[in-house]
Amino acid sequence: MSTTAISVAGLGKEYRIGTARQRHNSLRDLLEDRVKSLLRKRGGDDTRTFWALNNATFDIRHGENVGIIGMNGAGKSTLLKILSRITEPTSGVARIDGRVGALLEVGTGFHMELTGRENVFLYGSILGMPKEEIARKFDDIVEFAGISNFIDTPVKRYSSGMYVRLAFAVAAHLEPEILLLDEVLAVGDLAFQRKCIDFAKNLQQRNATILFVSHNMHSIKTMCERVIYLRKGEVQFDGPTEKGIELYEKDCRLSTLPWMKEDRESWPIEVTQCELFDEAGNPKTIFEHGERMRVRLTYNCRQPLVDPNFIVVAMRADEVACCNYSNETDGTSLGRIDGKGTIELLTPPLKLVSELYSISILVREKGFQKLLCAQAGPGFHVRHPLYDMHFGVFHEEAQWKVVA
Amino acid sequence: MHDTVEAAARAAAQSAPHKPERPLLVLRPNRGLFDLDLASIWRFRELLFFLVWREIKVRYKQAALGASWAIIQPLFAVLIFTLIFGMFARIPSDGIPYPLFALTGTLPWTYFAEAMRRSGLSLVTDADLVRKIYFPRLILPIAMTIAPLVDFLITFVILLCMMAWYGVAPSWHVVFLLPLTLLASCLGLTMGLWLGPINVRFRDVMHTLPFLIQVWMYASPIVYPLSMVPAKWQALYALNPMVGVIEGFRWALLGTHSPNLVAIGISALVTLVGLTAGMVFFKRMERTFADII
Repeated sequence: MSTTAISVAGLGKEYRIGTARQRHNSLRDLLEDRVKSLLRKRGGDDTRTFWALNNATFDIRHGENVGIIGMNGAGKSTLLKILSRITEPTSGVARIDGRVGALLEVGTGFHMELTGRENVFLYGSILGMPKEEIARKFDDIVEFAGISNFIDTPVKRYSSGMYVRLAFAVAAHLEPEILLLDEVLAVGDLAFQRKCIDFAKNLQQRNATILFVSHNMHSIKTMCERVIYLRKGEVQFDGPTEKGIELYEKDCRLSTLPWMKEDRESWPIEVTQCELFDEAGNPKTIFEHGERMRVRLTYNCRQPLVDPNFIVVAMRADEVACCNYSNETDGTSLGRIDGKGTIELLTPPLKLVSELYSISILVREKGFQKLLCAQAGPGFHVRHPLYDMHFGVFHEEAQWKVVA
Repeated sequence: MHDTVEAAARAAAQSAPHKPERPLLVLRPNRGLFDLDLASIWRFRELLFFLVWREIKVRYKQAALGASWAIIQPLFAVLIFTLIFGMFARIPSDGIPYPLFALTGTLPWTYFAEAMRRSGLSLVTDADLVRKIYFPRLILPIAMTIAPLVDFLITFVILLCMMAWYGVAPSWHVVFLLPLTLLASCLGLTMGLWLGPINVRFRDVMHTLPFLIQVWMYASPIVYPLSMVPAKWQALYALNPMVGVIEGFRWALLGTHSPNLVAIGISALVTLVGLTAGMVFFKRMERTFADII
């Protein structure tokens, strides 16, 4: 048996911008566009293409667990879609040696009108399990999902939690030699995410090869010994996890937040630097519980703004916004600003529990109106001798007394 | 999409007889025009089965009358046809009681129209599957062509009851219903293979379909006999591949005059050419389904 599970050479996927971004949903749109581009002299814009994945080359050995990281639109999902055969590469070759299981989304193919039992069979076969195998594992699946009382109820009556649990229970009983996972673990609460990690670890023990796409560096760290960092469709780094994540986080600094729709070029203001200090002004990234933090923001205003509202958010890895500071709410007016400038925020004593947090920076118009800019800031740790995420979001001392 | 058992892998396996090499999946841009990879459909037959099963299960769920709709719908259609075309317009029916005449035409027509409609829309209806799961895309239109056979069989039983009521006994010709039904299936699938990929690109198909089905129905000898079509239009009329199927059904079940071999021949030819070309077309378009759906 060869030692290579996945061998990718020069793999690329080209999209026509016209079809990928502003696809024509009706013939009328297409005709309209065609006429427009005829009128425009040699309207080259419409035929512009871009490579979502470009010349990717790497080998993955059997039993290796590799994380695929990168910002939105870096080509992570495109890579998984090609490897799982959903879409075809434009160039290059991928060789896959082993039974592939692909989970790009949990529960695709579930039918609301069918019962849980019926959906287990339908979804199992969609994921490529033979009927006989599903029947054999059926009891295990139902037990894993913990919904045995509802197995003959139509899925549309399920809560969304039950629905995801059942879908995942089916998926967790796949026994692929090569597993392609796309951000699946990001759904559900933390307890559920832990269950997912257990599933992946279980597969690891059986020497399965796992390719895991995620934005969650914490899960990448726990699961993968190697990462491939994609940037603008190209393999930027391929090697040890720690180093890859470090590189990625450096690149991420002050990058546009994924959900921001507005083009960065059109923002009226942009934050060019974000630094963290302790109260005395020394640079710092690890804070003790109860310590105060200075966040210094350097901005560049492309047009004059009156009373903008800077918002600094501490985000947890699972995208929970833990606390939020705004100069407007805190009663500081910035007046009219233009060009370059620097402002600083001194937080109250941090009462967050032990965890890694990342800063998000937003700037809004006065009165929490229009969003002007949304960027990802640096990460920082908070250390608490006792409390971590399992005990809550923050911790403050309370007073106790015996009443009777 | 292309998967091959690489010759090299085989050769390696032969040179090392102690351990058979597993088939290697090779993904690369597909360039072959006639690389239809029909074997993959066989490999995914269980998924095909479950998709058909899902369609049948879901069809009448949440309808108070449930599966009885499969009986009510054709009966109601025939009732209206009989009232309007049989009694008011007094359209001749080749000496057959009009309700029986109309139902024999409605039977293959409804099945064909449903197969065409559902297979044509299948890719968009199951867009989530297309976007997130790999399977040979041909499975979707094929499943949607098979599923309406259940309604077809129910209508067929109604037709048998009606024949008994009118005292019409089928001859041995009924055995021809099997190839004729197969022809209707292939024709429905053919339309689905052409309309499906276009619908992925342009949702206009969705809006055009009901209209197309209606026009096509009146261009087929369902509510009127073929003999009513003016002689000079007969040749053009017979280009409609459903003419052969419907006339074939009447002949096989009711024994109306001799079989219209020319019409059936045209129908078979159109289907054969259309289906082959449709497969090639579908396979060609298949590559971009997940990207543009």
